[in-house]
Amino acid sequence: MQGTEMIAPGERVRCHPSVIVENSLSVVVLVALLVTRFETTAVAGVLAAAVVALLLFNYRQWKLTTIRFGETEIVVERDTLFKMKKTLPYAKIAAVNVNRGIVNRLFGTSKLQININSGSSATVPEAVLTFREDTADELRSAILERLHDGEVVPDEDEPAESLVSFSPADVVVHGLFSVPTYQTTFGSVFLAYSIVELYTSAGAGFRGDGRALVSLLIFVALQVAPAVSLIFRYYNYRVYRRGETIYLQHGFFRTYKTSFDVSRVNAVRVKSTLAARLLHRSWIEAEVVGLASGTGESLRPVLCLLKDDATQQRLLRELVPEFVYDRNPERQPEGARSMLLIRAAAASLALALAMAYPSLRVYHEAADLAGTAGTVLPWVLPLATLLGVLAIFYATRVSCRITEFDAGKDLFTFVNGAVDRETVVMNYDKVQTVQVERGPVAGFFGVARARVYLLSSTGGASISSGYFSGSRLGVIGETVMERIASGEYDWQKNSV
Amino acid sequence: MFSPGAGTDGYRRLNRKCLLSMYFGHAISYAILLGAFVLVEIYAQGFLGPNYDLVRYAFIAVLAIVLAYMIVSPPVFYARYRYRITEDRIDVRCGILFIRHILVPIERVHQVEVSRGPINSMLGLADVTITTAGGVATLNYLEAEEAEKVAELLDSLVGRMLKERVPGPGVPATEPTGD
Repeated sequence: MQGTEMIAPGERVRCHPSVIVENSLSVVVLVALLVTRFETTAVAGVLAAAVVALLLFNYRQWKLTTIRFGETEIVVERDTLFKMKKTLPYAKIAAVNVNRGIVNRLFGTSKLQININSGSSATVPEAVLTFREDTADELRSAILERLHDGEVVPDEDEPAESLVSFSPADVVVHGLFSVPTYQTTFGSVFLAYSIVELYTSAGAGFRGDGRALVSLLIFVALQVAPAVSLIFRYYNYRVYRRGETIYLQHGFFRTYKTSFDVSRVNAVRVKSTLAARLLHRSWIEAEVVGLASGTGESLRPVLCLLKDDATQQRLLRELVPEFVYDRNPERQPEGARSMLLIRAAAASLALALAMAYPSLRVYHEAADLAGTAGTVLPWVLPLATLLGVLAIFYATRVSCRITEFDAGKDLFTFVNGAVDRETVVMNYDKVQTVQVERGPVAGFFGVARARVYLLSSTGGASISSGYFSGSRLGVIGETVMERIASGEYDWQKNSV
Repeated sequence: MFSPGAGTDGYRRLNRKCLLSMYFGHAISYAILLGAFVLVEIYAQGFLGPNYDLVRYAFIAVLAIVLAYMIVSPPVFYARYRYRITEDRIDVRCGILFIRHILVPIERVHQVEVSRGPINSMLGLADVTITTAGGVATLNYLEAEEAEKVAELLDSLVGRMLKERVPGPGVPATEPTGD
């Protein structure tokens, strides 16, 4: 490997000493909070000693951990009681990303995250190394150069125009309306409950039993916190492509610089929540192997924030033309409609049975109440159940209308989701396993569902189709096999 | 490929001993469930109060349904289970209520593992777990010898495929560039 200005090839280096503070910070803050709770100096002394011990431990970990950027691999070695030697061959590296948190900004450092091609550890980077900001950027460029067969990788700080400009308003809209509808619904219910509680306790000088506050906190946790987190995460969002590499840059407190080769994209998801669809907007996510830089859904890189459908389609064509093709979608057959109606009936029956006892109990207890409460409360649960049943049948009707399957030459697509919709375009060459499944009712109506397993950003994942004839879904597996047999499948591009 | 014992369609079936293995496994699970029921009978009356009878009857209903399923499912599983290994794919058809057709291209196989629990060891059976980058597929209740053969076959098929990809002596790994 070509060394950077600061690190010679083969030289053993350590991370920036700020990792000692970074690794100790959360415990130090916790201990500081505990110290304020305990007034006795003895407990405070013990806690202070624990902090000193932790700092010494982390200092030793830092001192005895070395990194060597060799000709063919990166070796991370720790010579402590629990020895560790991790070898990351350049040939196996899937992605190298730079990430800056608040502590990094204070110390002028960056985190270099290295991921290898692995399904089992897709959610955790194999190495997280903290260096001075310029060193981390240089190392990243040098490693990327290795990954691209010596091709010089353009500096990401060079001005590059984002394929689509995203204003702060776009980021806010994305944060607010990309939260799943079920989460928004539950959040709204808790908000409504807390407002009612506050309203009813207003007469008593807001002397409630804290239920309003708890509901409000749940609303914040379900609705406000995810939206704010998304807004900060995608602040100043930029996306562009140079050659075969896609670059993403965003972040307010923590900045993210992510890049990956287009060949690492296993599937593209165009998503829209109910609220987003009302605004005629959708966003694009990609399944990219080895990009661990967050948790859960946030592991999946977003290629386009919530934008109007026309812009989103234009970006899709310009950014990942490999996942665009002339689709000829087919709708679910008549048998699927019958199957879905039976399923809706079964779900409604289960809901009605589950709600029967609580409804009767509330009815009897609330019937004795005087005034409006006595008139309204007995019917709240039966009405809620009825609304639930109507929602189930409405979702079934929408599902019958929108669920699609499309088998193209190189790509295939599933469209699913009555409420939050998702169009997943997949490459046959990335499919690991295909499973076609039919239950007793589906079998009776001659339909089945396919489950396609592929390597996703969060490890192995399956993507399900709607109900189609088994032979039609069998085309997926057969095409995968045909492409391998005919040589259309290029293992060098697709091996993981 | 792997044709001895295969039907006219090339699919192989399981040995009938798999029924015994399933029944043993189910019996152990059922014993645990019965234990839980006995605990409910002894201790739950106090804290369930007037709901005790409701919970008790629900538990008995669950026990009856599970017992019926455990008795009926092994023969159905055995009758439906088919697998086929060819040069390019592993093909499994199985299921009790939900019938699955699983297709794993040999090209995608990363790892093959033969495993046997205590019941299967006693009966001379084994499972073969095939790992791909996107998940696992399992061939259950194969005869131990056959499981080893399947694993060897898969290893050799994967090994052959990888060998074919390594350029021979004197052949450059990539096309030369430039003049």
